[in-house]
Amino acid sequence: MSILVANGLTHWFGSQVALESVDLTIDTGEHMAVLGENGAGKTTLLRILATAARPTSGRLEIMGLDALRERRRLRRKIGFVAHAPGLYPALSAAENLEFFCTLQGVDRSRAAETLGEVGLSEVASRPAGQLSRGMQQRLAIARAILHDPKLLVLDEPDASLGSDGADLLAGVMRDRTVILATHDHALANRLCQRTLVLRHGRQVGTATRLHIVQ
Amino acid sequence: MSSTIAIALAVARKDLRAEWRTRELVPALAQFVVLALVIANFGFQIDARNAPTIAPGVLWMALVFAGLVAFGRTFAAEREQSSLEAMLMTPASPVAIFAGKALGATLLLVGCEAVLLPALTLFFGTPLSFPIIATVLLATIGMAALGCLFAAMVARVRARELLLPLLTLPLWIPFIVAGGQAVQVAMGASGTYDQALALLIDFDILFVVLTSLAARFVLDE
Repeated sequence: MSILVANGLTHWFGSQVALESVDLTIDTGEHMAVLGENGAGKTTLLRILATAARPTSGRLEIMGLDALRERRRLRRKIGFVAHAPGLYPALSAAENLEFFCTLQGVDRSRAAETLGEVGLSEVASRPAGQLSRGMQQRLAIARAILHDPKLLVLDEPDASLGSDGADLLAGVMRDRTVILATHDHALANRLCQRTLVLRHGRQVGTATRLHIVQ
Repeated sequence: MSSTIAIALAVARKDLRAEWRTRELVPALAQFVVLALVIANFGFQIDARNAPTIAPGVLWMALVFAGLVAFGRTFAAEREQSSLEAMLMTPASPVAIFAGKALGATLLLVGCEAVLLPALTLFFGTPLSFPIIATVLLATIGMAALGCLFAAMVARVRARELLLPLLTLPLWIPFIVAGGQAVQVAMGASGTYDQALALLIDFDILFVVLTSLAARFVLDE
């Protein structure tokens, strides 16, 4: 059963097209990687699929809801890790998550649980600004799964995660539908069943696991 | 409704906690308002007769510029940290987020006013009375609502430091006129205090309602 159906997603930045007529269907529980060089439109596509941005044209349906009209309802069910961690440097790791627990409407005890899931329990009281880039990325991932979303949209989450990053991501992605943008083809092959390749904003191909992306 | 209030309070608490730990804004603003008063003290020939006329003008000038800095930082910092998007990606109402940001900024400005008003009494010899405090606090509410709305609008623009005063100052004029009149009367000049205060309350209600309605469209890109 499809959890996400996109038709003709197009996005323009001024006179420049960032994404051109992307069609996409993702089944429930499927893990899909989005590959492409810098500027290929990966981030734009992921931001649209996460409901963080509106496409210039096209249709997007997520979990049976019109994603352009029902954005707030859908955000209860979507977790998004953006390019930048977007944390509050003066607040501790735990305080950052507790704050987002309030915004998500979930119990504050989820903050400690989630910190454990991403391996940050020991630095829970340390200000986010004093955490390493990799730890900040883990904290951003923890924030994205606080409300136990069905759909997880991850924009290059492996960028600074370190050697055990793939294992962490595999754990976080379990039992969820995931769209993952990455430059790491090996990681995409390991974690995802399907790959979408973008070039200059255009969808140039899809491949299933273990296919070599040309 | 209760979740809206809880979210607004959580946002305000988060901003105040971050300010308490970093002490980025309030000490700098407090220094700024004291320096403004020192300069005004040297710039004007102030005596017991003209103090009630000049001091309110100096008070509102200092308050307006301190407010522009305080409200400008509320959303600029969120944009720089990319944390505003993280907040907006939650199911929390943009109105609740806006109300929390405005409440936090208001309380930070009230912290500056706690320095400004006694300093005004010290430099200008004007009284520090309840009517003056009430007037300044009432004006702060409406100014904060408008200031935060425009700060949210210009936060994504590069020239935000220039745009924010251009957009905000014209709409702050009613607060400065009514507030200035009320403070002048409270300091001993002739006029009606109650009328000016009633006008301030009317402006507060009008602009708080309007900005709450507009916040949704400004924040929810």
